[in-house]
Amino acid sequence: MIAADLAIVGAGPAGLAAAGEAAALGLSVVVVDDNPRAGGQYFRQPPRQFRRDGSASLDREAARAAPLLAALDHPAVTYLPDAVVWDMPAPLALAVAAGQRSQRVEARAVLVAAGAHDRPVPFPGWTRPGVVSAGGAQNLLKGNRMIAGLRIVVAGNGPLLFVVAASLARAGAEVVALVEAAPLNARLWRAWPGLLAAPKLLRQAIDYRWTLLRAGTPIRAAMTVTAVQGEERVSAATIAPIAADGTIDHGRAETIACDTVVTGFGLMPSVELLRLLGCALTYDRVRGGWLPQRGSGFETSVAGVFAAGDGAAIGGVEIAMLEGRLVAHEVAAKLGRSGGDPARSAALRRRLGRFDRFRRAIEAIFAPPRDYLGLLTDDTVVCRCEDVTAGELRARRDDGLTSMIQLKSTTRTGMGRCQGRNCMATLAAMVAADTGSRIADLVYPRTRPPARPVPIGDLLHENIPPPDLPADPHLPRAPAA
Amino acid sequence: MTMTRKLRDDRGLDRGVPFIFTVDGVAVTAYPGETIAAALIAQGHAGARRTARRGEPRGYYCGMGICWECVMIVDGLINTRTCRTEARPDMRIETQHGIGDQP
Repeated sequence: MIAADLAIVGAGPAGLAAAGEAAALGLSVVVVDDNPRAGGQYFRQPPRQFRRDGSASLDREAARAAPLLAALDHPAVTYLPDAVVWDMPAPLALAVAAGQRSQRVEARAVLVAAGAHDRPVPFPGWTRPGVVSAGGAQNLLKGNRMIAGLRIVVAGNGPLLFVVAASLARAGAEVVALVEAAPLNARLWRAWPGLLAAPKLLRQAIDYRWTLLRAGTPIRAAMTVTAVQGEERVSAATIAPIAADGTIDHGRAETIACDTVVTGFGLMPSVELLRLLGCALTYDRVRGGWLPQRGSGFETSVAGVFAAGDGAAIGGVEIAMLEGRLVAHEVAAKLGRSGGDPARSAALRRRLGRFDRFRRAIEAIFAPPRDYLGLLTDDTVVCRCEDVTAGELRARRDDGLTSMIQLKSTTRTGMGRCQGRNCMATLAAMVAADTGSRIADLVYPRTRPPARPVPIGDLLHENIPPPDLPADPHLPRAPAA
Repeated sequence: MTMTRKLRDDRGLDRGVPFIFTVDGVAVTAYPGETIAAALIAQGHAGARRTARRGEPRGYYCGMGICWECVMIVDGLINTRTCRTEARPDMRIETQHGIGDQP
């Protein structure tokens, strides 16, 4: 068992910023990260065997990552890499599997900074090798210094598309089209005042746009990818106009030859651990879907458990780092260690306010269509792990099985290794549309440990007490008093 | 497996000395520190596994260890995520069919 003042789940921007700030405030810290190298997705580090001279554009961010990563070397910080938090058996206890054994971390406060992943949007051909998520394309670039393909269509919705397309173009890919579901030009002018709130980020955005202009990549706004063709791998993508209500105009479809399709339809916070704990969640599609309710100090509804960064609400790297730092001050004050540092907290909050204004402007520009259900042909796979198609789900629905739980238990949708991360959002959208409900009102299948898949052998070395399960297995676990 | 494609961006970077591992008996080149998935993609080999029910090809997708689409049989170990497993010299890797119990 490891004990600390603050246990942090995730060594991305939020977790690292919190660790550095907390250690400086005199707290003992444990950082648990499931990646072998710290940095999260944004500051993903290439392997140490790569000898870099710092001249590559991808190395520009290295300067920013260095002080964040240095937090892990602080004597008050214990860092557990390649370690999976597979359960939180009590609000202030982590069950951590690493190196073929499992152990407990207990703390006086916990920060869940678990990050986010791509929102799944199925369309015909989305499972074909050569269709890569935006995060996957970025990680190949950052972690392996490699482009996902030579001739790439980048499609989906949101600001990350521009980052990915520009990064791919800079690294030598031919980005033949950027297909964005939102009608960007119609919205850009109204959003200007908000964009000016964060001049550094605005310059970055203009730089991405300029890179694509020089690369000759056309921006196809108010359009979506509708299908990807190919046998063993991608040979072409079909795109068509999409309206705000999700209607797709197949009559105006075009086909573009390519060897790779990178899709990004926005990010979703990873809230599994917060769900397991019974933290109150709300549904807010703009910030990524299901989000923990947080007080002004980023504490969830479960006392002592905090959430920050994209793992709590999608906001980007700057907001993640500021939230992480503010949580450290909050926890220090709460534990009476140093009373935090009120002047610094206030300064951090002012910066957060500016980035929040920028974020809201970006959200207004990229507001997505109502849904993408028009892309779901009967043959389209919804659940990648268990190979379940939309047609199979619709057949069950026509048999009268209309709830998420019924559809899950009868088709195995969401029961595979990804634990629903790539299908539950689609299943929820289908059920909501079919039953005329709001996603916020749907009953989801219960989240159970393990929060992430772990080899059973890793768990044999810990005597875990039986969890306190509710009588109704579909209700969330009751938060501990 | 197709011709080697120039997907590695080597600007400002020395990858060191390449080595070989095999996938279904075919040699694949990798550099120290690269993941198995990256080395395969660089060689134009997009697929990693075939699904149990529909027999569909699947490959690298999320790149962050959550989708499990890129799993292969690595030195006999099924369900190994190639996006987060470093390639090593002389590894023997096989395409995974179903959950690894199908030929």
